[in-house]
Amino acid sequence: MKYLLMIYGNQEKWSSIPAEDWAQEIAKQDAYNKKYTATGELLGGYGLADAVAAKLVTRKDGVPAVSDGPYLETKEYMASFYLVDVESEERAYELAAQMPWADQNPTEVWPILHESASDA
Amino acid sequence: MADEVRRRVENLLRELAPQVLGTLAGRYGQFDACEDATQEALVKAAQRWPTDGIPENPRGWLLTVASRVLIDEFRSDSSRRRREDTIFAATPQSELLGRPADSITDPEQAAANRDDSLKLLFLCCHPSLPVSSQIALTLRAVGGLTTAQIAAAFLVPEATMAQRISRAKATIKTSGIRFEMPEGDARERLLAVQHVLYLIFNEGYTASSGENLTAPSLSDEAIRLTRLLRGLLPEDGETAGLLALMLLTDARRPARTLPDGALVPLAEQDRTRWTSASIAEGIELISEALERGAVGPYQLQAAIAAVHDEAPTMEDTDWPQILGLYELLEKVAPNPMTTLNRAVAVAMVHGPRAGLELVAALESDEGMARSHRLLATRAHLRELAGDREGAASDYREAARRTASVPERRYLTGRAVALGA
Repeated sequence: MKYLLMIYGNQEKWSSIPAEDWAQEIAKQDAYNKKYTATGELLGGYGLADAVAAKLVTRKDGVPAVSDGPYLETKEYMASFYLVDVESEERAYELAAQMPWADQNPTEVWPILHESASDA
Repeated sequence: MADEVRRRVENLLRELAPQVLGTLAGRYGQFDACEDATQEALVKAAQRWPTDGIPENPRGWLLTVASRVLIDEFRSDSSRRRREDTIFAATPQSELLGRPADSITDPEQAAANRDDSLKLLFLCCHPSLPVSSQIALTLRAVGGLTTAQIAAAFLVPEATMAQRISRAKATIKTSGIRFEMPEGDARERLLAVQHVLYLIFNEGYTASSGENLTAPSLSDEAIRLTRLLRGLLPEDGETAGLLALMLLTDARRPARTLPDGALVPLAEQDRTRWTSASIAEGIELISEALERGAVGPYQLQAAIAAVHDEAPTMEDTDWPQILGLYELLEKVAPNPMTTLNRAVAVAMVHGPRAGLELVAALESDEGMARSHRLLATRAHLRELAGDREGAASDYREAARRTASVPERRYLTGRAVALGA
């Protein structure tokens, strides 16, 4: 079963982490990624750039029209996401809880739609 | 024509894969190295045989090549001399030279081959491995599929699948799991093998299979491997039951989905499109197994599938018999999903109200109450009882809770059709 794990945050939150701790925090995340890639459960994990770098794209007359934004109404935005393929829902929750910052910052766990169906 | 030859070669290689690996593992013990060597020999054969022709003794050819790969492998190893000697000493000279093709009919050799294939299945489905790795390893080591093919079938990157397989092999190596017949826990170990085959079948029994040409059909592969297991254990009723269950379920595949992938429920399937040969084979298997006694859950599920498959229409279905079988199944293997299925049979025999009462009893189970299956079943029974509004709301809620695209589409469609 595939799940998307998402971590949200904002600049304020990241700024609260002392600069000297960053290397260690990143190392923790790297260790996490390495560990679950090795188990064959983490298909991919990506961190996102800051919201100021994000754009909104629509199609106008068949060509991309790019504008600034999104102007988020929420206080927190997506900071990173992880695609996992695990044995069970419980295992997905376990991996989410193993996120280095899971003791302070919740991880969203979303099931991914699949094409299979049991006998109808 | 070239495709035809390639397919013939591929089928032959997949059939020989577990025999070659089994023989090597039996002889040298080191499963991980033997598995790599076998894969390499298979790749070489797949490249050469379609153009050079299939050798007179294909099994001997593969064994010879794989043994040479092993020797090369160990040559680069620090303790190479000792290992190399072991391999040379353990390899019959006749094999390195290629053996006559008819030696395979030697009954002693055939029995040894059977044992090796069984040991291989038990090893791949060892309880110390996670189930996802058991599945991957079984498909590669016993099924002879490549890592890329397995990855494509499970829609994960090849690197991820390679990771699962190499990790499983490393676990086998480090935890000292031996290539041998299980002793005290043989029954449980066989259950694990059957479960893995069942999971492979279910994974493959999807609406999308067939569209993705790079992915092999997992349900076909599960049937092939279960046939192999049945050949190895012809007396085991549950293995026969499992094979029958797969055949009787797979028989409905042509009628189960529309060309656009939409699900067709059993009641509305065009039964003339069911595969009659699979039904006949499944019914024969299950009848024979049931007569022999020692009934287990796979046999009972197969028997239920057989009753469905024998009915020319939904109305002609022998529901009292299905109900009786579900009652037995619930006794043999209690499970809320079985109870839910029994509720449908109860509704068909005693009316929808009686079925709904049984569903209501399941709602106290926290896990079940949230399950889309319970909601979908309740919706169906409410619809039968004439409660359109309640049915529509259940269908809608069930649609929200399933992660399956075809199921969601189907359930939403039912809600819309009820117009409530």
